[in-house]
Amino acid sequence: MYFKLPNKIIDELRRWLPILSLTTLIVFLVGLYFSILNSPPDYLQGDSMRIMYIHVPAAWLALGSYSFLALSCVCWFIFRNPNFNLFAKSIAPIGAIFTLIALVTGSIWGKPTWGTWWAWDARLTSMLILFFLYVAYIMTWQSIVNKELAAKISAALGVIGFINIPIIKFSVDWWNTLHQPATISKLSAPSIHISMLTPLLIMTFAYILFLATLFLIRLKIEIIEQKILRANK
Amino acid sequence: MQFYNLIIRDLKLAFYSSTNFLLAASFLILILILIPFVFGSNVSNFSLLFRGFIWISIALSILLTLDRVFNSDYEDGNLDTIILTQIPIELIVFAKFISHWIANCIPIIIVIPLAGILFEIGIQDSLNIITNVLAGSPGMVFIGSAISALTLGSKRAGIYKTIIIIPLYIPFIIFGADQESSLVLLGLSMIAGVFSLFISVYSLRLYAE
Repeated sequence: MYFKLPNKIIDELRRWLPILSLTTLIVFLVGLYFSILNSPPDYLQGDSMRIMYIHVPAAWLALGSYSFLALSCVCWFIFRNPNFNLFAKSIAPIGAIFTLIALVTGSIWGKPTWGTWWAWDARLTSMLILFFLYVAYIMTWQSIVNKELAAKISAALGVIGFINIPIIKFSVDWWNTLHQPATISKLSAPSIHISMLTPLLIMTFAYILFLATLFLIRLKIEIIEQKILRANK
Repeated sequence: MQFYNLIIRDLKLAFYSSTNFLLAASFLILILILIPFVFGSNVSNFSLLFRGFIWISIALSILLTLDRVFNSDYEDGNLDTIILTQIPIELIVFAKFISHWIANCIPIIIVIPLAGILFEIGIQDSLNIITNVLAGSPGMVFIGSAISALTLGSKRAGIYKTIIIIPLYIPFIIFGADQESSLVLLGLSMIAGVFSLFISVYSLRLYAE
């Protein structure tokens, strides 16, 4: 397997990664300050709703990462450029961890508000399945020794798994579930107060920066691995 | 004509190795036997439990038999020979699907009324379950075969194949446990058939290179 990314990209990454990491840290600190200290508690749930600022961005980005993964796989099928496989391969473990964060924080949030750690609710179950889809994707790369073959198979798998994304997104609308429907997506009039929306948006921005940092680090590792593989051939 | 020959060949293979032919059905019964050990023999309403467990055990027994769709032929090299014949690869895959369904799901369907007797399920309920299984099991076989075709190349595919397949079985199990949705199941099976055909053909082309 070969790659067409210019060698320069590693130098570029080396230059930009520290700056990106620092920005991530700063935005995270600002977001945490707003979400923990400088925002009102919920009138019903009290301070326990503050976990939303960690839970919601993680869940959004877990879905977003899988969409990105599936899109890369589709692009690989169309353009046959191995870079797309590197993108998908780099984002898979990060997406899996974000799914796990969303599940764990959701379950911690569920205990005081719903009275239970876990409910067999459509959205919770489909998020759990999303986690296993990520695991299956990662395991494909690990269990197939021939990496060219693994690239082709994992691309097909990534596309198959995309069936789950609309199911997760619309599960709260299709089935009447315990999990609340979307509150933010109505951009014109979100059903969340502006004092809570601001920290949420800052935290989301911080999460996106975090995702980008991790993604670029993984991408750098993958490129170096490819170089080693090619050198050993 | 060669299409039918292929089906008959696979059926003969499944029939003459008698352990293979009976494996899925006996596995199903064995899982169902575990129910009384779990819930005790005095449960008044077994029929609800039965309806759920029958779908779990069908999913598991189909998973158990998936190695025989493409893997055994792939390992002894017969798959390459079959692909080299004049038959289009799509028909080969379809023949494999059909013969595997006949060899493994027909015994399961025959066994269901017998299992129904063990759990005091009425004839009407049994027929109901059988209709659902008839409509849903082809789709489950198709999806399972497609994923096992996709993972032919990996040494320990059995471990993670199940991780991919079981999430895809969930819709079948949801609608299978519902009494009046055999038509939905039939539709699901058809959609699954189309997609599985594409995936299997794609992966067989990969491995036959």
